[in-house]
Amino acid sequence: MVPVQWYLLLSAAMFCIGVFGVLTRRNALVILMSVELMLNAANVNLVAFSFQHGNLTGQTFALFTMALAAAEVAIGIGIVLVLYRNFEDIDVGLPTTMRW
Amino acid sequence: MIEALLAVTFVSSLVVFAAPDRVAGKLAALLSLAPLAGSLWLYTAFDGSGNALLPDGDLAFETMATWLSIGDLAVNWHVGLDGVSLPLVVLTTLLTTLAIVSAWTPIDERQSQFYGLVLFMEAALLGVFSALDFFLWFVFWEAVLVPMYFLIGVWGGPRRKYAAIKFFVYTNVASLLMFIGVIALVFALPVESFGLPEIAQSLRAGELGSLAGIQPGTLEVLAFFAIFVGFAVKVPVVPFHTWLPDAHVEAPTPASVLLAGVLLKMGTYALLRFNFTMMPGVAQDYVYLIAAVGVVSVIYGAMLALAQQDLKRIVAYSSVSSMGYVILGLVALTPFGLGGATFQMVSHGLISGLLFMTVGVIYNTTHTRMVGDMSGLADRMPFTVGVFVAGAFAYMGLPLMSGFAAEVFIFLGAFDAFAGAPWFTAAAMFGIVIVAGYLLFAMQRSLFGPFRLETDYEVGRAPLHDVVPLVVLVATIVLLGVFPELIFDMITDAVTALSGGVA
Amino acid sequence: MATIGEIAPAIALLPLASFAVALASVVFAPRLLQKGGAIPGILATAGSLVLSVWAFVHVGGGEPIEQELLAWAAAPDSFELTLGVLIDPLAALMLVIVSLVAFLVHVFSLGYMNAEGETGLHRYYAELGLFTFSMLFFVMADNILMAFMFFELVGLCSFLLIGFWFREEAPASAAKKAFLVTRFGDYFFLVGVVGIFAAFGTGRFVGSEGFPHLAEEAIAEGHEILGMSPETGVMVLGLLVLGGVIGKSAQFPLHTWLPDAMEGPTTVSALIHAATMVAAGVYLVARMFGFYALSPTLLAIIALVGGFTALFAATMGVVKDEIKQVLAYSTISQYGYMMLGLGAGGYVAGTFHLMNHAFFKALLFLGAGSVIIATHHTHDMWKMGGLKEKLPVTYYTFLAGSLALAGIVPFSGFWSKDEILYESIVHGLGTDGGLGVLLLLAFAFGLLAVFFTGFYTFRMVALTFHGEPRTEVAEDAHGVGWSVKLPLIVLGVLATVAGLVNMAPLDVEYLHSWLDTTEEAGLLTSAHHYEEVLHDVAHVEAATLTPIATAAVSLGLALAGALAAWRLYGSDPQPHTDRLGSIKELVGNNYYQDEYQVWLAEGVTLPLSRAADTFDQVVVDGVVDGVSSVSLFSGRRIRRIQSGIVSNYVALLTAGLVVLLVTFAFMGGWF
Repeated sequence: MVPVQWYLLLSAAMFCIGVFGVLTRRNALVILMSVELMLNAANVNLVAFSFQHGNLTGQTFALFTMALAAAEVAIGIGIVLVLYRNFEDIDVGLPTTMRW
Repeated sequence: MIEALLAVTFVSSLVVFAAPDRVAGKLAALLSLAPLAGSLWLYTAFDGSGNALLPDGDLAFETMATWLSIGDLAVNWHVGLDGVSLPLVVLTTLLTTLAIVSAWTPIDERQSQFYGLVLFMEAALLGVFSALDFFLWFVFWEAVLVPMYFLIGVWGGPRRKYAAIKFFVYTNVASLLMFIGVIALVFALPVESFGLPEIAQSLRAGELGSLAGIQPGTLEVLAFFAIFVGFAVKVPVVPFHTWLPDAHVEAPTPASVLLAGVLLKMGTYALLRFNFTMMPGVAQDYVYLIAAVGVVSVIYGAMLALAQQDLKRIVAYSSVSSMGYVILGLVALTPFGLGGATFQMVSHGLISGLLFMTVGVIYNTTHTRMVGDMSGLADRMPFTVGVFVAGAFAYMGLPLMSGFAAEVFIFLGAFDAFAGAPWFTAAAMFGIVIVAGYLLFAMQRSLFGPFRLETDYEVGRAPLHDVVPLVVLVATIVLLGVFPELIFDMITDAVTALSGGVA
Repeated sequence: MATIGEIAPAIALLPLASFAVALASVVFAPRLLQKGGAIPGILATAGSLVLSVWAFVHVGGGEPIEQELLAWAAAPDSFELTLGVLIDPLAALMLVIVSLVAFLVHVFSLGYMNAEGETGLHRYYAELGLFTFSMLFFVMADNILMAFMFFELVGLCSFLLIGFWFREEAPASAAKKAFLVTRFGDYFFLVGVVGIFAAFGTGRFVGSEGFPHLAEEAIAEGHEILGMSPETGVMVLGLLVLGGVIGKSAQFPLHTWLPDAMEGPTTVSALIHAATMVAAGVYLVARMFGFYALSPTLLAIIALVGGFTALFAATMGVVKDEIKQVLAYSTISQYGYMMLGLGAGGYVAGTFHLMNHAFFKALLFLGAGSVIIATHHTHDMWKMGGLKEKLPVTYYTFLAGSLALAGIVPFSGFWSKDEILYESIVHGLGTDGGLGVLLLLAFAFGLLAVFFTGFYTFRMVALTFHGEPRTEVAEDAHGVGWSVKLPLIVLGVLATVAGLVNMAPLDVEYLHSWLDTTEEAGLLTSAHHYEEVLHDVAHVEAATLTPIATAAVSLGLALAGALAAWRLYGSDPQPHTDRLGSIKELVGNNYYQDEYQVWLAEGVTLPLSRAADTFDQVVVDGVVDGVSSVSLFSGRRIRRIQSGIVSNYVALLTAGLVVLLVTFAFMGGWF
């Protein structure tokens, strides 16, 4: 059996990659994908601990998170579409008209 | 019964919101007759005695039901009327109906929303005066602010945004302070609900514990002043009064009528219910400070009124002055002092309402309120000016009008109330000279003398529906001045138990 | 059949009804009432007069009328405030005077207002009705709070009537001044009323439960009054109430409103000066004389104020050019005499002069009114002259009034003025201590004023009626109607004979015994009781002096003044007063009393209020706006963080998370 630390390292790595992606990329779609990566990092954590403790609650939560991620993608892509329609680009640095 | 009153008023406001602008005014007036008739029926059927918050209180039209609980504290739907709140309920319904009628001429856009907000505010006001559970009461208390904010902010004068935001933020911050004070008390008391009677009786019985390391004595004083300042802004007393003239000047006439007539009374009513009913001991310890605040309000407010050129500002500052008398009467803690203060709430509601309406009628035709812009209006608008003179003299405390009764009750009650009281009372009484000064000067310059008007509008007689509310108010003022026992009887019955402070 | 004891309130309620009728007609149907609403007023005041006489007769039977009208307000364990009717001999006498004068003024108004085509007559008669109502209830008041209430209403009515011609600047200003100045006095009165309630728990004027008696007991037993010694307490409360008296009765220094009040219609002046507003002040002193008689200091102050005002106003009357102005100053002066009489302990004398003055001053004002309409609204006496032939009825009645005013035997004013002077000198000589000295000083003022009174009165008569007509209006003066003549004749007769009821030097003292009529009823308001109080409590003693002596001196002075005026102005009048130079300047400007009061209002109070306004706007409101500007400013700065770029937000979010993690790590001791 693989010790839980490895899973945690994997999850931390995935999360950091996700954060890095969100912070550095300007393309909305890539950001969305990076967010998915972060969510899945959390899932890995949940499942790992669930396995460790022999308790299924964590895995149930992972399922919840997946459903949530699906919903999020739906909304996220919707926003991206609107963004494209209005600015003809999906660069997140462009739409600053609502500030102040 | 009170539920029915609240429900009818609230539903009326929804109906009026939905009605077309064309009929909204007439419809609102018609619908507002229902709560008016209801409150008059309550007045005739009133069978309560004693003070609502004290053990001797036997409330009229009381209902109580559990609503929800927060922690181990129950929040109840608890409403009922005693001799203090009933006159204010009648005042609210009467002034609302008259204010609606007086709005027919000046309000010419978004009528249905205007009248809907007025009726909504009436419902909230009725709730404030009848609720006996702190939580419930606070909901109504805050609900009053919202319609008034819109009434000033949408239908107001040129600086309406400034005035509306100032009004809203100022009174809301004050409410926050008051809320903290009351909640602190509730947490430090062995009470099981937010019921005002329970809080009051527990406090009067000296059951206050300590909270967050603050000793009960200190806690009570801190809470007293937090609550006092919270309500003082609403009243308003000097130095928390500066929102009032701005709000009045910018508000449309009917909103001014309700603001001066009823909204200010929320502050004094709450002062009576909270500070002077629950913590009379603190009030007695700081009697000089509070009495001084009252006296300064009277004299300083009157002096400010003397310097004004705008008729509405004059009346607004004189409200500050009149409310100072209420503070003095309350802090006296004698039957005549407390009774006179409550009587003054009703009386000032009627009189200031009358004066604001009259100024409004004049403004409708002249399109100016500046004293220097007009002269000799009595020649063109004899009836309106006659009512203005009557209202001004009522404000000056002319006998056989309600203002005199109220002031004399307060003076009689306060004169011998505590050591040094004669000096405070005599100083406050000098207000009756200054009030005569500024009103007489303003009347002489604007109403009498040869006719002249800077704004060049055609000045004729006011329409009938502008005049009827004025006549009703004058009649009520004279009625209460000649027969103050009509309400003074039930008021003193309700406040006598408070006299003398803590036994 | 109801007795007068039951329907006594109707005396005052009748004029109220006429007010209501006139008011209703002005609102609903101006054309419905003929004569501009005069008829209801005349009927009502006639009814009041009849009822007053009935009450007078009833009281004469030894039975005062007492009735509770209305339980106005009460609180448990506290005061009971009531409105009630009390008619004792003093009130009965005053009721007859007030209702008679009011009735005659109403009749006269038919000729003075209606015939001159005035507009707003309904308003005029409504206000007259309200005025009469207020005054009658004031007279009947059985407690000091009720007295204050109607005292104030009288003030309101005078405001309305003085400002009757509101379309002009001057009447509106005069009305305001009248109300404001008297309000200033009433402020002290109200403090006194409240103080009396606080001290004695009651405001009743009469009986053993009344506050004068309670105060007497407090002095006898040495109880404190409001934390002061009883003597000081009585003095303070008495002085406070006196403030109202000085305002309403136009005594120095609050007399300045009265000459200005001449801007009102002359009929109104007659009513205000003879029987209502100005009389109210002095009547109040007489009403609560049992209280004032307790304190020698109070008596001295009243006498001194009265004596000084009598002289002071008389000197100003000498230089006036307008007929009504002369009468105005003579009113101030005459009420000074009444105060002098009351202050000197002469309750009967003061009341007597109040009665006589009501008749002759009403007569003089109405006579002046008659002259004014005959000369097409001329007020300046220099534009008159020679009216004796044109207006014989007016002339002879006016002459009777003038003789009474100047105090020439046997006209009414002589008897009462002489009694006042007599009372002040005998009490001044007989009483020890400061009171005696001050009474003598006040007497000296009063005696000196007799000369000036005679002078200005006959200057006025001579300028108006004698010599040659000096202008065209005086030449084609027209006659006046019956409604003008009738009141003049009635009052002329009264002014001539009213003095005969109390000829003290001849030992005829009907009025004195009248004021003792109801002594048995225990009201403690009889003249006899007051004499006892004066003697026992205030220690006022009378010296022996023959009344003939003062009578002769004062008559001599009055005649000297009259003859001097006659010589100077009798046939070919010149403005002799111009020769007085700077004195004329000083007196003509009323000793600059107006100036300093206007300065107090406009030079002190107004700038003070403007300063307060500036302070309020800049400091008080400045703090409020300052607090809000702090949030506005910081908000404006901090919102720069909201760049609108999503990546920045995420960066901040992440940074925040990292900071949190690091902090928790340190706190938790992970490192």
